[in-house]
Amino acid sequence: MMEDGLKTQTEPFPEDHVQFEAVLKELRELPEDDLEGKLVVSGFVDHPYGEDDQRCLECMYYLVHRKWCDLPELAVPVEPEWWCRLWRI
Amino acid sequence: MANLLWLQGGACSGNTMSFLNAEEPSACDLVTDFGINVLWHPSLGMELGDNLQQMLRDCISGKIKLDIFVFEGSVVQAPDGTGEWNRFAGRAMKDWVQELSDVSDFVVALGDCATWGGIPATAPNPSESVGLQFLKRDHGGFLGKGFKSKAGLPVINIPGCPAHPDWVTQILVGVATGHAGDVALDEFQRPKTFFQSFTQTGCTRNMHFAYKVSATEFGQRKGCLFYDLGCRGPMTHSPCNRILWNRQSSKTRAGMPCMGCTEPEFPFFDLAPGTVFKTQTVMGVPKDLPEGVDKKGYIKLTGAAKTAAPQWAEEDMFVV
Ligand code: SF4
Ligand code: SF4
Ligand code: SF4
Repeated sequence: MMEDGLKTQTEPFPEDHVQFEAVLKELRELPEDDLEGKLVVSGFVDHPYGEDDQRCLECMYYLVHRKWCDLPELAVPVEPEWWCRLWRI
Repeated sequence: MANLLWLQGGACSGNTMSFLNAEEPSACDLVTDFGINVLWHPSLGMELGDNLQQMLRDCISGKIKLDIFVFEGSVVQAPDGTGEWNRFAGRAMKDWVQELSDVSDFVVALGDCATWGGIPATAPNPSESVGLQFLKRDHGGFLGKGFKSKAGLPVINIPGCPAHPDWVTQILVGVATGHAGDVALDEFQRPKTFFQSFTQTGCTRNMHFAYKVSATEFGQRKGCLFYDLGCRGPMTHSPCNRILWNRQSSKTRAGMPCMGCTEPEFPFFDLAPGTVFKTQTVMGVPKDLPEGVDKKGYIKLTGAAKTAAPQWAEEDMFVV
């Protein structure tokens, strides 16, 4: 889906934990198997993003050995060079 | 024999409770083994009424030598600087504090309220509370910046909400047995022996901190409490994981974040609903980073730690 150019909502990046919680809330309201919805709301891109070149690899939810996003609201397979706006370290 | 007097200002008695739980040495050991004579203490003192007043006056006049004055709780100055909201033995407590501090060899501020003002001094601070020598991070306390007790030391600050019992008794023994010179103090006048290392030193979750495995609920056995639950272990000076509580455990070992109670800023944040026990972030990065680490370094470190993370870091190693 991402390779096919799925447009996702990369902005605004949640500036603080309150805005972060708001995105999580939005995700929780989606049906569990709505993969496309999850990708859009969390603003996925398949390359590093932002001035610090943020990547899933540095994100605290990224499980290196499983190549998996451990954020309960996402729980999707991801690559180390990807990024989403729930990035957090 | 060292005479010790203990008074309480704007306090909840938590430090007294803590003190009575001391084990190494215990409160009784102070008396029987280390020659500390407890002249009076709010929970242990025998004197009442006129006799107590007389004893306090005898300390001030020098008839009774006062070696150690321990103060627990904030110095209450309301209303309008009179201190009348906290009267004790016939007058404002703050007046006793001033006069007793002036004649004592050593003055010990015990707990956050006595050290930095603590919870009573939180804005809007209607009781006009201050610590003995500090108000939060500044030397804005009751006795003034230049205060030195008769032995030439400033107030010895033993913070904590409450202070761990053994921090208290060990310092009292040190002072009473003539080793005050060995008690090095940090910039906030805390004994370095306890307050140079961090709460994180000895925390059983250190490897989860290194590999960024987060605990998301209180009491979880796996995971570090820094990333989601606002643990202040990496920036709080305390030996809570070296000198365990009840000889058994600590907050972080039990799955509860450190709230940084030994630091002058405690209690932290604006205390608005949803901000306590939540890691505050700015653009995805924790607002307060471990002491001495900057944002760039933190991001680099994270990449390296993640890349090096062993398989087991992703598993629950506590199988039973
Ligand atoms: S939260 Fe986003 S950035 Fe972090 S690992 Fe998951 S997908 Fe990647
Ligand atoms: S941040 Fe807290 S829980 Fe994590 S290792 Fe440090 S002290 Fe332990
Ligand atoms: S773990 Fe932190 S909050 Fe708890 S007593 Fe120690 S310093 Fe205070």
